[in-house]
Amino acid sequence: MILIYDKTFEGFLTLVYDVYYEKLKPNSIFKQKPNKLILEEIKQIQTNEIKATKVLEAIKNKFSKKAFQTILNIFMCDNDDFEVDLLNFIIIGFKDKNELFNINNSSIFYIQNLEKQLFRANHKMSGFLRFEELEDNTLYAKLESRFNLCYFLGKHFYKRLNNQNYIIHDINRKLAFIKDGTSIKVENIASFEEPNLSEDEEKFKRLWNSFFEAVSIESRKNEKLQRDLVPLLYRTYMTEFEN
Amino acid sequence: MRKDIYEKMQILANSAKYDVSCSSSGSENNHKTGELGATHNSSICHTFTADGRCVSLLKVLLTNFCIYDCAYCINRKSNDIKRAAFSPRELADITINFYKRNYIEGLFLSSGIIDNEDHTMVLILRTLKILRYEYHFNGYIHVKLIPGTDDRLIDEVVALANRVSSNIELPSDKSLKLLAPNKTKEKILQPLKHARDKSLENDTKPIGMSTQLIIGATPENDKDILKLSSVLYDKALLKRVYYSAYIPVNDDRNLPAIVNKPPLLREHRLYQADWLLRFYDFSYDEIVSEEFPNLDEELDPKTSWALHNLSYFPMEINKVSKDELLRIPGIGVRGVFKILKARKFKSLDFEDLKKLKISIKRAQYFITCKGKYCAKVSFCSDTIKQAIIEPPKKRVIQPSLFDIDYSAITGEL
Ligand code: SF4
Repeated sequence: MILIYDKTFEGFLTLVYDVYYEKLKPNSIFKQKPNKLILEEIKQIQTNEIKATKVLEAIKNKFSKKAFQTILNIFMCDNDDFEVDLLNFIIIGFKDKNELFNINNSSIFYIQNLEKQLFRANHKMSGFLRFEELEDNTLYAKLESRFNLCYFLGKHFYKRLNNQNYIIHDINRKLAFIKDGTSIKVENIASFEEPNLSEDEEKFKRLWNSFFEAVSIESRKNEKLQRDLVPLLYRTYMTEFEN
Repeated sequence: MRKDIYEKMQILANSAKYDVSCSSSGSENNHKTGELGATHNSSICHTFTADGRCVSLLKVLLTNFCIYDCAYCINRKSNDIKRAAFSPRELADITINFYKRNYIEGLFLSSGIIDNEDHTMVLILRTLKILRYEYHFNGYIHVKLIPGTDDRLIDEVVALANRVSSNIELPSDKSLKLLAPNKTKEKILQPLKHARDKSLENDTKPIGMSTQLIIGATPENDKDILKLSSVLYDKALLKRVYYSAYIPVNDDRNLPAIVNKPPLLREHRLYQADWLLRFYDFSYDEIVSEEFPNLDEELDPKTSWALHNLSYFPMEINKVSKDELLRIPGIGVRGVFKILKARKFKSLDFEDLKKLKISIKRAQYFITCKGKYCAKVSFCSDTIKQAIIEPPKKRVIQPSLFDIDYSAITGEL
């Protein structure tokens, strides 16, 4: 059986509810109806707030704080194909929460691994993200990543840039984490114009490049290693790798 | 002629680059609402240089003017190089602006000695005060203490910095006398001891401190070096010792004349050995001895230890204790934890280890799973060594580090 839900967290929680009470056995879970002809039975989940809330409460009660956080993280990270495994993860947790550490189970192993990959990507990005200062002193960073890191990075920088306004803009997902004064939010960005940079921006970029060049030790040069450590896909917006 | 700020940066970053300590890890998180900056518990690399080192701090000298003439140092008085100095204000501004753009985690500030020790320390202190009091910066600051400075200045620095260090540079007094005649080990350790005691007055944990040793400029062997490190760790004086393969920057009759390449492999092995001291509960004399005072270049020190102590092996993955697991070559701290966790649910075979993403390439010679030994060579130290060193193609070890903290990966053995 194939289940289809609407991509939202509520939709997914509803799906968990229906699987439970209607004893469904899905082989795959999709976010929209597949185009090609499929012989299997297809069931569309109707997102339902009451069902979703019930499941959410149950998860909060039954799971440890850490496991609950894992569920949220996996959901938010926006990977292609996590649904079936996350569903299994939740079902296992309801049965016996100790089993959630049993990495011999393939779903648990998958979820734990995915979370680790997410953390790793987030950790890398928290170093490689570059802010530029805009005319009004807001700090602005562009982001491209396999995972949806907007929220995670936004939180990370909340501690560091506490007295600053900043925007982290996920270019491909058209999302942005925006901190303005005391308000923080994640917003959809339908279209945007390249913003104007502050007067000092060029100066500090140049200083940074000058620093970056100066600290490299010629006799130890190893560009292959450098490429392993900062893969090209991260370099798009890194000042020191431009040109 | 006045130098522009870009040129200053070029000069003063260039002069600081041979200092290898870099990591900002292990300091408490301390952000405050309405202020700028926080330190992070695990270090964050913001970029990597063309030689593959992690950049996490703005590492510069306040000035590369120096009244002394240490033989191994590029900034020595007698060298004819470009000189420059930042003003405390300039340096504070750059730090803040770099931090805001997420180029760095913080500042690593060191300096040549301009006029005299106290004067230099005062300039450093002024930079710190602008950062902490004026800009309310809570990010990471590491300061190199200058041996011979007044204790009261050291106190002030300790109160404002997250970490301090003082480079020992050379592993013995004799070598110091030869290459840095105005320094003694005593004098170098003085500010560190004072900083430790001072920070302990206010806190149960002393301020984090580190030092650097130059490897290969003088005749000390690995045993001398590891013994020194292990004493410093035992006294809780230092959190980290950094090892830096000697890179000739000067001609000096007291220095080794021709070094084609810095002894990178030796540096790498020392880091591995140091790692064993700090995280694997090895003592230095297990790794090096009277008989073998130097680390084996062909093998990492854990494998080398195992081959000298084959009687402990092969270990049964499903039975041995955590401490024993930690001694298996090729299995790192994280691998041990994975095994311990997974063992609770079932008894593990080689397939399971693979699933746990534990590489058994090296470990296979030293373990059994459910009683089975799977390496295809006989269990004796010569054949195992042969098999490890000579898998068909010759492997060149690429030491990737100065900074092991970043790479739990490179450090784990
Ligand atoms: S005192 Fe420091 S900066 Fe001056 S020459 Fe000696 S090592 Fe170099």
